[in-house]
Amino acid sequence: MDDDEAIARSARGDLTAYEVLVARYSALAHRTAFLLGAGNEAEDVVQEAFVKAYRHLSGFRAGAPFRPWLLRIVANETHNLTRSRGRRSSLELRLGGTAETRVPDDPQDTAVATDRRTRLLAAVRALPERERQAVVCRYFLQLSEAETAQVLGWPVGTVKSSTHRGLARLREEVGDELK
Amino acid sequence: MSSNEPSDALDAFESELTALGDLLDVPAAPPPADVAAAVRARLEADAPAAARDRPEPGASPAVRARPGPASREDEPVRPARRRRRRRWAVVAAVVVAVITVTAATPQGRAAVAQILRFAGIEIEVGDTTPPPVTTTAGLPGEHEVARADLPAQVRFPVRTPAALGEPQRVTVSENGRVASMFWPGGIRLDQFDGTMAPYFFKKLGPPAPEYTRVNGREAWWIPGEHPLGYIPREDGTQVPLRQAAATLIWQQDGVNLRLEGAGSLKEAVRIASSIK
Repeated sequence: MDDDEAIARSARGDLTAYEVLVARYSALAHRTAFLLGAGNEAEDVVQEAFVKAYRHLSGFRAGAPFRPWLLRIVANETHNLTRSRGRRSSLELRLGGTAETRVPDDPQDTAVATDRRTRLLAAVRALPERERQAVVCRYFLQLSEAETAQVLGWPVGTVKSSTHRGLARLREEVGDELK
Repeated sequence: MSSNEPSDALDAFESELTALGDLLDVPAAPPPADVAAAVRARLEADAPAAARDRPEPGASPAVRARPGPASREDEPVRPARRRRRRRWAVVAAVVVAVITVTAATPQGRAAVAQILRFAGIEIEVGDTTPPPVTTTAGLPGEHEVARADLPAQVRFPVRTPAALGEPQRVTVSENGRVASMFWPGGIRLDQFDGTMAPYFFKKLGPPAPEYTRVNGREAWWIPGEHPLGYIPREDGTQVPLRQAAATLIWQQDGVNLRLEGAGSLKEAVRIASSIK
């Protein structure tokens, strides 16, 4: 069952078809919620987003891509959560344990690469909120500019400019040179 | 990024960022099948609202009316209004279906040992009795209405407990989302639509809320007086209302109810059970 068929059947009240959609997109939704700042409440956000998405399926344009439409709802739910908590969305980002296994064997290269990644991540965390959101969507979630615009509810031009400013700041912070 | 490049093509620095994204420590997502099942269970909680005349809320999901267009025709309500009501109802049912016991201590609420969410009410249970609210405020937009005008002003069917008879005074707040009834002796019944976020909050010290049942439905008794407030949906901050007396909270057919001032658990349950 492809997305279009699952969506059409879900819109007619077929919860089994909707379960297929939920299962298909739950991991991406979870990653999106977490990276946009939902922190340890990402699971709640995801559940809430899927419930809301189901209620709003009638507003879904048939044939449109489901992914950015769903992620928009996830982003909104995340935003509501962080706003209701009265704090800047926390980007609780850490490098995973797998980082060490992916770098060259040379211990010095490893150390340099790890240090650079750590600094880069810290710089991302420190970005102004909008720039950070753009950078997270574009690179950590690997969304296109158009998708990012839809997910964040911004004009494409704003995505471009925020991404551009964010990148400039990051380059300034950690340098452009690659090891 | 060179400005000549197509904006969706990545330069080396952007590629480095993308690679960094793959190395991030993102907590494991729950198994997709579990998420799907949980979402389905929540959507099915809509069923009692769609078939609200069925008396047995404990019926298994399989025999519940399936949410969907087909279930809309059992009541002569304008579709838009009905749809909105159904949406509120599912949310309320959802909040109610699971009591979320959060052992975590969210930022800024370090003294809170537990947060219970039930029937549209967020209950913060702490180790010590919270300082009382010394002021009294009304709900947003609260205004008195005639009992007969309630159905037109409130977004859900409002009920009256037979055990108390007609209320002395009735108010509507929050653009028809909350109906409050008052009887002599400080008894009040608030009925409100479920909201995506909890609507009321209560702060409690010991003793803990007590589990009971109202007409076979799960209910909780908040035994002592406690600070009560509401959570505006615009920004999620907590706005204190007043010091509330012991309260019974439960959920019935997609509507959240709180009965305050009945004095004892037994009396509160007796009154609540007379709401049909």
